Amino acid sequence: MKALCWQGKTSASVERVNDPSILNPRDAILRITRTAICGSDLHLYDGYIPTMEPGDVLGHEFMGEVIETGSEVKKVKKGDRVVVPFTISCGQCFYCKNQMWSACDNTNPNAWIMEKMYGYSGSALYGYSHMMGGYAGGQAQYVRVPFADIGCLQVPDGIDDEKVLFLSDIFPTGYMAAENCDLKGGEVVAIWGCGPVGQFTIRSAFMLGAERVIAIDRIPERLKMARAGGAEIINYEEVDDLVEELKWVTGGRGPDACIDAVGLEAHGVGLAAAYDYSKQRMKMSFDRPIVLRQVMQACRKGGVVSIPGVYGGFLDKIPFGAAFGKGLIFKMGQTHMHKYMQPLLQRVQNGEIDPSFVITHRLSLDEAPEAYKTFRDKQDQCIKVVLDPWKEAAAA
Amino acid sequence: MTITTNLAPKNGEKEFSRRPATSTQEAILTLAAGSALAGLGIWRRGWFGATMGAAGGYLLYCGVRDFQRPYQGRVRVSYTIGKDRQEIYDFASNPQNWPRFMHAIQVENRGNGQFAFSIGEPAGIDFESNVQITDQQAGEHIAWASAEQMLEHRGVIRFKQAPGDRGTEVSVALEYKAPAGPIARALASLVGWGPEQVVRESLRHLKQLLEAGEIPTTKGQPSGARGIRGTAKRIMFREGPSEQAVEQTRMAGD
Repeated sequence: MKALCWQGKTSASVERVNDPSILNPRDAILRITRTAICGSDLHLYDGYIPTMEPGDVLGHEFMGEVIETGSEVKKVKKGDRVVVPFTISCGQCFYCKNQMWSACDNTNPNAWIMEKMYGYSGSALYGYSHMMGGYAGGQAQYVRVPFADIGCLQVPDGIDDEKVLFLSDIFPTGYMAAENCDLKGGEVVAIWGCGPVGQFTIRSAFMLGAERVIAIDRIPERLKMARAGGAEIINYEEVDDLVEELKWVTGGRGPDACIDAVGLEAHGVGLAAAYDYSKQRMKMSFDRPIVLRQVMQACRKGGVVSIPGVYGGFLDKIPFGAAFGKGLIFKMGQTHMHKYMQPLLQRVQNGEIDPSFVITHRLSLDEAPEAYKTFRDKQDQCIKVVLDPWKEAAAA
Repeated sequence: MTITTNLAPKNGEKEFSRRPATSTQEAILTLAAGSALAGLGIWRRGWFGATMGAAGGYLLYCGVRDFQRPYQGRVRVSYTIGKDRQEIYDFASNPQNWPRFMHAIQVENRGNGQFAFSIGEPAGIDFESNVQITDQQAGEHIAWASAEQMLEHRGVIRFKQAPGDRGTEVSVALEYKAPAGPIARALASLVGWGPEQVVRESLRHLKQLLEAGEIPTTKGQPSGARGIRGTAKRIMFREGPSEQAVEQTRMAGD
């Protein structure tokens, strides 16, 4: 089959590799119909996630048709149309049973690496480095889905692929980020980053009762999309001091909840940003926690800091005194996908939201290496790339 | 080293030292520093000399104790398995199940509570360990010991009810004396054969098998060309040997 393989820092290529096969009794094989490039794939592309190896198949947002099932797969049947969450969960351990799916104990074959780095290992992910399990990803024509009965969400006929594809990651991730803010109605929520997750966070915050959403970015088309979603917008390059600006527009209180939908590759202005850039370039740090600092500084007393953005290592110059002094609440982590997929599918079916609004590029798998670059450099007004692994490349 | 074979838990008595193992070099260093300090103290005299002498004496005592310590390494691993204690014990105590979860190990039952363990799969390692079950109490613990030249070891696996309906805490405590030094041990860990790793992965596999019904794997999955370094690391990531990408029949069918 054709698959997009990571080849090293800022290098990926479409290669012919073996088709996946059933390796364990609870596996299924999918013929992928649609797959997407996620913002977190860019962290891999830029080489910030350790234990990636050349040849690793990328991709963790995909859906498709079941073409083969293992002997212990009971619910999912050949021919089912399914969307698969990016976290792999067993469904049987303490964490799965208590709705903390992304903390699953039993799916990471390389758990010992994460135990060395983080103390404990979370669930495995598709196509996201060997310490996260090393499972081959879904920017390919076929994929193996372990624990298929737990992982596959059956999609009813009559809904477009594009409407349900994002149940695989960014919609639930944005939703959980908003849910973590513990909204009761009437709050002001500030969201850093208007990429795809940020866009879903804006809409989810309104669904959950936020009165005002303030979206922060610097890319015009992303701010435009945020405004279309009902948010007020701030271009951080155009204001003197973002924290002061947020204080100004919230009557001096500060936002009730602040969401960091950016993560470890934050851009920024000023001295702190320059410091983080040089540190990362010198390989002294994986992370550039510019946004995290702002979020902690800007949040109102006793407010919630919700972090869907990905961080990987040891963070520097974090204003923990501010966090303690204001009594902030922190919520973060990989999305507990399985908890949200069914209810969010229901919202899509009810017509409350059409997740395909975020798509700007529809390409073939062969065009994926180019698309990574376009997406990362935010060229061509790119916000979200969806790939059809079976489409022939458009003649250039 | 003679091994005391009975590791059954005794009331109020620890069967393992809580201090980490010390290498011979460390013990020699401690002894050297101790005698130097003690000698200096005697030479200096006075209250300062007395303090130095006392410190030196303590170091000498530590060094001698380290030399006498009857083991070189120690492993303690514990996982909570969300199953009934009896169910886990029944599964884990059945020798027929051992190759299913013990990290790439083959077992031969020699009767009378004696078993021969050998590394099956990886080529080139000729390793066998004869193990004697020394104590066993249904649903509680199994203790074992082995007095082989290659790797002396003794250990105990315990089963304990976890609080709050979380299942059973299964723990393995093991001490061993291996002929190789710390460098060889580090090398062994790199390819998944460090004593701690073997115990940890075996216990993890037991948990995965009982809870999820299978041990997760990526062995045999597709990947692009790995290059030399990537191929070497396959061992570390347990992906199995590299396979050549070949044209598939399914491609032609679609």
